[in-house]
Amino acid sequence: MAVRAAPATAVDTRAVPAARTVARRRARPGVVEWVLVHLAFAIVLAFFLAPFLWMGLAAFDPQASAYIRIPERLTLDNFRVVFADYAFGTALKNSLIVSTATMALTVLTVSLAGYSLSRIAIKRKNWISYSILLLQTMPLSATMVPIYGLARELNLRNSYLGLILVHTAIELPFLTWMMKGFFDAVPRYLEEAAWIDGRSKLRAWFEVVLPVARPGIGVAAGLAFLSAWAEVLMVLILVNRDEYLTVPFAFYRAARGEGSYLEVRYELVAAMGVLYVLPVLALFFATRKLMVRGLMGTTRGL
Amino acid sequence: MATLAQPVPPPPVIRRRWSAWRRNRAYVVGLTPAAILLALWFVGPALWGFYASFTNRALTGRNARFPEWVGLENYRRLFDDPDLATVFLNSLVFVVGSAMLGQFVLGLALALLLDHAEARGYRLTPLVYGAVLLAWVNPTVIAGFQWVAMFDFYYGSLNQVLTFVGLPRVNWLGEAPMLSVIVVNVWRGTAFAMLIFLGALRTIPTQIYEAARVDGAGAGRRFWDHTLPNLRHIAVLVLLSVTMSTFGTFVLIQTLTNGGPGNQTQVIALYAYETAFRGYEIGYGSTIAVVMLAINVAFATVYLRVSRPKV
Repeated sequence: MAVRAAPATAVDTRAVPAARTVARRRARPGVVEWVLVHLAFAIVLAFFLAPFLWMGLAAFDPQASAYIRIPERLTLDNFRVVFADYAFGTALKNSLIVSTATMALTVLTVSLAGYSLSRIAIKRKNWISYSILLLQTMPLSATMVPIYGLARELNLRNSYLGLILVHTAIELPFLTWMMKGFFDAVPRYLEEAAWIDGRSKLRAWFEVVLPVARPGIGVAAGLAFLSAWAEVLMVLILVNRDEYLTVPFAFYRAARGEGSYLEVRYELVAAMGVLYVLPVLALFFATRKLMVRGLMGTTRGL
Repeated sequence: MATLAQPVPPPPVIRRRWSAWRRNRAYVVGLTPAAILLALWFVGPALWGFYASFTNRALTGRNARFPEWVGLENYRRLFDDPDLATVFLNSLVFVVGSAMLGQFVLGLALALLLDHAEARGYRLTPLVYGAVLLAWVNPTVIAGFQWVAMFDFYYGSLNQVLTFVGLPRVNWLGEAPMLSVIVVNVWRGTAFAMLIFLGALRTIPTQIYEAARVDGAGAGRRFWDHTLPNLRHIAVLVLLSVTMSTFGTFVLIQTLTNGGPGNQTQVIALYAYETAFRGYEIGYGSTIAVVMLAINVAFATVYLRVSRPKV
């Protein structure tokens, strides 16, 4: 038997945590340690949750300001104003249309591309893979000027189509790479059996391979939706007509800039924030484990 | 199942190239839609930007329609631009402060804390984990306005805390703008480093620690001798990743300070935008973008070298 270092795969990662928990628990936790850890917890929680605490309370407070306080009287007026005076409904509708369409187009494109990249057998295959990874690290803020020029040439400004295409493209490199990983894990004999049965490559992919890769497709869909939902930069350069603006721009409406200082209507910003973040939270925490795995690959600036 | 039972006839010997093409034809077609979109929105704009950086193209007016070739003029101008040195320095401070010191160090610290707490079975661990993730999945615009509220001079929570403990108020976004945007970026981005480090910590075999404990090594000793060396490779990757993503940060800074006051928080991405869309100079704006891309490609190349992804 060849003596070789065991590949650090499933064996290590799965067996270790359990073994470790048992081993560590045996040491008696001191009181001092408990206090220290929980002190650190308190600081971390305060730092990370304070902005959300403020937002959640201020959205229902008729006299909200920049500080955290429990409202004397709960109200939904802030939400009403946001919809009535700041066209939040239109913005919400646009965001929803763009994000959903982006999600559909992205899922279709990356599941085709990821599968093809996984199975294609050509000499310079790693060149394709490397260039995809390279594209993935390209900051959007560096290419936005030419993207603006291109969209103007192609008449894609102020349209849903332009936003959908560009949002799809943004997510492509990373999600193609991710889907390739999922398809690499699907054994080839599945599709080979389907070919022998007389299915075409397209049908074999659709009927046999795709169902197996379903979790990957779910992650891709979720990530594509979230990224299009939160995206600002492309909307900033592609849209200047009110009827196509997405949610992020409603926020800027509620803030009046004066030099470098902002005068913000905090109660409105908070109400918008609550509505804007809800779908994100629902989607993310419902599929947390899968999403975390997917999201760890994003390295682009936001 | 009759088809399965029959032996597959051996492929006839034909020209190899042709058969390779037939095998891969379907996959090439499958890659096409993605390739078109990437060419349209990534490769095309990058090349166009490179071309535009040699012209005096403008956003409006005569030079918008008939840009002239100016050769290396824009690149020479880079060196004479008095603002550019400031902008580069700001980007450097922002990246070092928020990515290398902030997200990287805080991410490692949080990973160690959570890993430890998890092993001890403390109840609050998932809550802390979730709180850090929450800041990360939060849309950038919300993050920006939440912190505008936190930093508010008269009523902001930060100054409330300061007055409570008897310290004077600080005009955060006015007097310490760079520190403020760094704090927000750390708040937002730490989860990434934390997640990767948590994953890495779980792959370190326990036996190492057990052996060290038997040998009488204290917690600090075990950390320096065993935990850190095992994290070295992943640490380089995290460092490069957070550097690249921080380098491109635009929306967050735009929401918080818009580069101000003056140009104290003007980073490269913002400066390119301002030049192209506020100054109407597409040519020069593209030149700045090309420099940005070049820096990013350098980082990405190192990243790919170090990570050696399986292709």
